[in-house]
Amino acid sequence: MTLPTETAHPELEGLGNYEYGWADSDAAGAAARRGLNEDVVRDISAKKSEPEWMLRMRLKGLKLFGKKPMPTWGSDLSGIDFNTIKYFVRSTEQQAASWEELPEDIKNTYDKLGIPEAEKQRLVAGVAAQYESEVVYHKIREDLEEQGVIFLDTDTALKEHPELFQEYFGTVIPAGDNKFASLNTAVWSGGSFIYVPKGVHVEIPLQAYFRINTENMGQFERTLIIVDEGAYVHYVEGCTAPIYKSDSLHSAVVEIIVKKNARCRYTTIQNWSNNVYNLVTKRAVAYEGATMEWIDGNIGSKVTMKYPAVYLMGEHAKGETLSIAFAGEGQHQDAGAKMVHLAPNTSSSIVSKSVARGGGRTSYRGLIEVAEGAEGSKSNVLCDALLVDQISRSDTYPYQDVRVDDVSMGHEATVSKVSEDQLFYLMSRGLTEQEAMAMIVRGFVEPIARELPMEYALELNRLIELQMEGAVG
Amino acid sequence: MADVTNRGGGSAKTEGVLDVDPTLPSQPADARVQGVTSFDVADFAVPLGREEEWRFTPLGRLRGLHDGTAEAGGEIRVDVVAPAGVVVETVGRGDARLGRAGKPADRVAAQAYSAFEKAGIVTVPKETVLDEPVRITVHGEGGTAYAHQVVELGAFAEAMVVIEHTGDAVLAGNVEYVLGDGAKLTVVSVQDWDDTAVHAAQHTALVGRDASFKSVVVTFGGDVVRLNPRVHYAGPGGEAELFGLYFADSNQHLEHRLFIDHDQPHCRSNAAYKGALQGKEATAVWIGDVLIQAKAEGTDTYELNRNLVLTEGAQVHSVPNLEIETGEIVGAGHASATGRFDDEQLFYLQARGIPADEARRLVVRGFFADLVQRIGLPEVQDRLMEKVDSELSRSVA
Repeated sequence: MTLPTETAHPELEGLGNYEYGWADSDAAGAAARRGLNEDVVRDISAKKSEPEWMLRMRLKGLKLFGKKPMPTWGSDLSGIDFNTIKYFVRSTEQQAASWEELPEDIKNTYDKLGIPEAEKQRLVAGVAAQYESEVVYHKIREDLEEQGVIFLDTDTALKEHPELFQEYFGTVIPAGDNKFASLNTAVWSGGSFIYVPKGVHVEIPLQAYFRINTENMGQFERTLIIVDEGAYVHYVEGCTAPIYKSDSLHSAVVEIIVKKNARCRYTTIQNWSNNVYNLVTKRAVAYEGATMEWIDGNIGSKVTMKYPAVYLMGEHAKGETLSIAFAGEGQHQDAGAKMVHLAPNTSSSIVSKSVARGGGRTSYRGLIEVAEGAEGSKSNVLCDALLVDQISRSDTYPYQDVRVDDVSMGHEATVSKVSEDQLFYLMSRGLTEQEAMAMIVRGFVEPIARELPMEYALELNRLIELQMEGAVG
Repeated sequence: MADVTNRGGGSAKTEGVLDVDPTLPSQPADARVQGVTSFDVADFAVPLGREEEWRFTPLGRLRGLHDGTAEAGGEIRVDVVAPAGVVVETVGRGDARLGRAGKPADRVAAQAYSAFEKAGIVTVPKETVLDEPVRITVHGEGGTAYAHQVVELGAFAEAMVVIEHTGDAVLAGNVEYVLGDGAKLTVVSVQDWDDTAVHAAQHTALVGRDASFKSVVVTFGGDVVRLNPRVHYAGPGGEAELFGLYFADSNQHLEHRLFIDHDQPHCRSNAAYKGALQGKEATAVWIGDVLIQAKAEGTDTYELNRNLVLTEGAQVHSVPNLEIETGEIVGAGHASATGRFDDEQLFYLQARGIPADEARRLVVRGFFADLVQRIGLPEVQDRLMEKVDSELSRSVA
């Protein structure tokens, strides 16, 4: 029964190992300044030739960042040293208009990530690839442009669509929301800006690939998505960073506005290397009849604290979160979701699956709040955790706060280990233990994997197969 | 409703329009679901209301139990009726048998431990099997009091204990249950206070090897009732069942905070709490913390909380936390649900000629019935159902 921990399931060894751990020569990052003060913020704003209101917003963010306390809950954040972080790194002077114009080392990076293939296969409608702090490559298909869809990096959007930008920026996540949102407001750079006009249905996913290259560099992208009435968009974000010795900080803010009867799906596969603190604020507001869906995969990073939220503002609005987390050695995935029911007859659903191995720790932390007046609201939460050895850890912190009578909400969680019966069954049918184990893990995450776009589902499956390769070698 | 419009309907331009309290559910960094335990009240800071373990509790209504300003001086009458073979004692603070089940886990419990003058000890000697319950009645006659009670079962003893709280009091107390190896204890604690009473108590059980502990907590009355049932195990093979029923009326705050510490291998625990709420500002808080320590292999645990909201204006906080430090377990899970009762059930009954009030009563009785039936003491069960009926008739009237 009690097997030695590490040898018991060698097929899972690779979980948490980092495949994308190369580092390109880093000419731009080496010269960037470390630490944060008003000059750094003014400098960022000046280099970007930003309007005055944005500078004021940044300075306000900086002030609030100084005032807000570090969170005393969740993961251990004592390893973050705000003074050694580079807050702004400019890697190329201009945005490239086509793939060929990209500098060679950046192109190599993206080649390794498989971006052009995806592009060629037209699986993605546009690729916004964020290399360090600014988007260096950006393309959107002509037919989308004709429909009036705006898909730009956030810096360009501020220049080209200032009114639209100012109308929505910081409205979902105010500068003082939390310490890391304040920090992002002060030093944000890059990210995606999407506007989908009324009634436009974007058929294929819009995709951005983020990558951190510079050692100790903070990545503070800012994404703003507005889906106008009756429109639909699916945005896909993936994150990868190379391995460096010291710890990096990634602190993004994502704001999404889903208007009446519109629908937005936001898919993230986070595969940061195992020294990144990933502290992200993601929030959407869904108006009458609108649907917001978060699909959130957390595979990499040292520490992730991320709880995508949906504020259900209008009647019949709907929020959904599918969350999947893998924690290997030295990793803590503190992920979850937050649903705030503020209008009658709103509904929400959270499904969370997590796998911990090798002493890793997964936590589900969630909040369901039903405010006064949100009659007829429905909410359902399901959390499953799978532990594959004796030293890993799994926690569940589900909060429910109900203030109306006409409501129906449920929460259920199970934590289980891989069952000997299941292993035996599969092995008696000729599978090796490693194959059987991988099959069980794949089966466990399948309800979420099938919601992913094809290439991400494949990547997830490949990740599980990687562990088996390790076992054969 | 006005509140919602204010939050949601405003222009998206105004910063802070969504600035509802963004604090996520919090736990201290890398700490276990439960923090400090100590006999010394000085080891606990005076709660201010922001702390995780106090943020749901109306501190202003605790009458100073939490900040040391509550002076003892009230009158609490404790009567113990026990069948032959049971030893009933009243002892002083120095008795070595006090404080063995576990230390106080919050400031009020530590305050109570530091302030009580006499403690009650009920001992069921080893291998004694009682066929009549031990009855402890606690009646408050006004004023503040601190109390301490120990119930100890020797190895392979079997007993039932019924503790009833009535009257008016501001009472902080600790109850310890110490179960020897193979012992079986069922304890029913009924809080049927007057509407003015304040009651904060920690119930700590230490479950011996292969022993089985069943606790039923029934909370109906009181202005503020905050109970912390805690379970630890002294050896492998122990079993704990924690059942609870509560019925919160207008302006009542009923809080139950469970902690089950799986600190021994091959133990089981099962918690099930059900509550109904009616009236403005009726509040129920249920926290179910379960910790499975790394050495507790073979643990099997499940927790359940259900809340039935009968009228508008009630509030429910339900948090079943689970921390697991080993994968070598039999199973772990929890479930929590909050809802109003089923209109279809009402319709079904009314369609068969049962008047609305009666149908409503039947549905609520049904909600509680499966838990009540597990108590195993018919007279207590009957009284509880009567109590549910009388609570319901209050809402109908």
